[in-house]
Amino acid sequence: MAEINVNPAELGIKQEKRINPRIEELKSTLRLLYKNKLALVGLVIVAFYYFIMVLDFAYPPWLGVSNLNHIYVFTRTFGIVQTPISPGFSNGIAYLLGGTQYNIALLPAMLGALRFDLGVSTLVVAIGATVGITVGTVSAYLGGAVDEVMMRVTDIFFSIPFLVLAVAVTALVEKGAGGGMNGLIIALIIVWWPIYARLSRSLALSTKSLNFVEAAKAAGSSKTRNIFVHVIPNVLSPAFVQMSLDIGTVVLIFATLFFLGIIPISALSAPPELGVLINYSVGQAGYASNLFFLGFWWTFLFPGLFLLVFTVAANLFGDGLRDILDPKLRR
Amino acid sequence: MELRYFIIRRLLVLIPTLIGLSIFLFLLMWAYGPCNLVSVYYTVRQHNCAVIAPQVGIYLNDPVLTYLTYVEHLITGNWGIVGGSGFFLPQGPVLYYISIFFPNTIQLALSATVLSLLIAIPLGTYIGSKPNSAADHIGRIFSLSGYAMPTFWLGYLLIFFFGKGVSSFPTNVFGFVGNGLVNYHQSLPGWVSTTTLLSNPTHILLIDSLLNGDPAMFVRALDYLILPVITITYGILAGILRFIRAGMVDSANQEYVKTARAKGVPEKIIIKKHIRRNALLPTITVVGLLISGLLGGVVVVEIVFTYYGIGYLLIQAINPRSFEVWLVMGGTLVFALILVMTNLIVDVLYAYMDPRIRY
Repeated sequence: MAEINVNPAELGIKQEKRINPRIEELKSTLRLLYKNKLALVGLVIVAFYYFIMVLDFAYPPWLGVSNLNHIYVFTRTFGIVQTPISPGFSNGIAYLLGGTQYNIALLPAMLGALRFDLGVSTLVVAIGATVGITVGTVSAYLGGAVDEVMMRVTDIFFSIPFLVLAVAVTALVEKGAGGGMNGLIIALIIVWWPIYARLSRSLALSTKSLNFVEAAKAAGSSKTRNIFVHVIPNVLSPAFVQMSLDIGTVVLIFATLFFLGIIPISALSAPPELGVLINYSVGQAGYASNLFFLGFWWTFLFPGLFLLVFTVAANLFGDGLRDILDPKLRR
Repeated sequence: MELRYFIIRRLLVLIPTLIGLSIFLFLLMWAYGPCNLVSVYYTVRQHNCAVIAPQVGIYLNDPVLTYLTYVEHLITGNWGIVGGSGFFLPQGPVLYYISIFFPNTIQLALSATVLSLLIAIPLGTYIGSKPNSAADHIGRIFSLSGYAMPTFWLGYLLIFFFGKGVSSFPTNVFGFVGNGLVNYHQSLPGWVSTTTLLSNPTHILLIDSLLNGDPAMFVRALDYLILPVITITYGILAGILRFIRAGMVDSANQEYVKTARAKGVPEKIIIKKHIRRNALLPTITVVGLLISGLLGGVVVVEIVFTYYGIGYLLIQAINPRSFEVWLVMGGTLVFALILVMTNLIVDVLYAYMDPRIRY
């Protein structure tokens, strides 16, 4: 039999030069993101917040104090309630946005708060997503009794309102182990992984019956390899959308839990945290203060707006990302 | 499959969930420390914990037996005790206090649900019938800000702008279980119990004041309720609105809508009867998630507005001066039961309305 050896160029077929298809996909995603102005604004704001957070971790003195917890210790006059300094340029850059209870400088406290608000929330979402995606995908792939048990376990966590669940777990783990922030982090992870488990399970169920997974199975690929090389990459992109939407929500819940006074912190040892700062202004959970109602509006307005801007930006970015990554919505 | 088989199957699925829930709560308590659980009942030092604990059904070396006792106590209504020094209530059974604070929470949650549906359905219909219009974009930004808004921050903003000022804001009143309507010095109407300060017969003030023909009290109750309800509604409206809009856009492309247009049905009737009816059905399926958000909002709002409900009770239970472990567990259980029951009702309702779901 004669060998057929035809050069496509001779037949006039134009051969496209294909670089790595994943890079192409990323490029087109970025192009779409650039077109979606709202999502782009969201991304820029979120990136700015992360930049400040990294700066807080890497070089704390940029806020004007060597240790962030010292914002509270050094600026506090013991036992004397001072009139909060009003915002303006006259009092130096630290008091640009004024002072709050005990004349804690608001601007460094707010910027330093991102270390906890954003840092812990990112940790929670990352761990929650990793655990959830692994559990969800494995149980969907294995099916049967494993899957059934997993679904019932997530049912339990979905049967408690997530804020209440976080409150209960934090309170009990915290008081039992006395582990500072650990209780709160554990609580938020416990609240968050079932969402990803459900999401990745439904995605993995539809992926595992696709032809390329069947082909890999027929070629003798092991279960572990199938799950991690063939199924999980197809679950990741919707999970990433969910993560970008969730980061705003987790920051919100984190601030809410601190606002409610879940962790019994005295004013002296309180970490800079946006929920605590708002609490200083309105006086819940043992911080006797009504600064906001006495007319010191900046003590309330600035920390809240700082929080609101981030959550709006994170939601804008997540929404835009979903429109871009979900081909069904793409026009 | 008939509807009653569907209900029976749905009830059977409930059993493992409830068992798992009780195991989870028990594990939390066990992690907290069995001796700490006992210390609410007695002043316990480490050496006599082992002697006293079995008297209240806690067996230090036998978690399984303790769990079974715990479940038995839950079923028989013995949910532990609460109160004492450092707590804002005198010592008493957890279930008693929960039963007193419960009607207020129901009143708040139901009002918020009704208000958000009253706003979301017409608004979602309007927005969804004109996708990508200016109204659609405004609606999208509105619902996005609802997702992103810190509930406690919004609550205080509303108090500041629309409240009657901090001086008249009730912080030390304990009337109608803290609805802020009557303080100790005023005399109670005859239809209010003097021991529990609950209104009769339904314990929900908004309804009872009408049933007993007291419009002045109804107006005061409404006045007190309006800001908390708006705060919660703003948060959950976003979710409902988004789903109704998506449903409207989806069903607008269906063949039967084209048929209706082709045969000349007026546009108003197409939107109302052909599109909206089918758009509302899938919205019901996400109600579970929304109720979860709603109950979380209830907790925050009850704290912000000093509204004496289960959420207020739960957060008071974790104050630093006295940690009321039995109350935390009881409050969590109540919230979980509300959520589970609502989901059950919603699922059955959905199956009743959409026969496809049963097959």
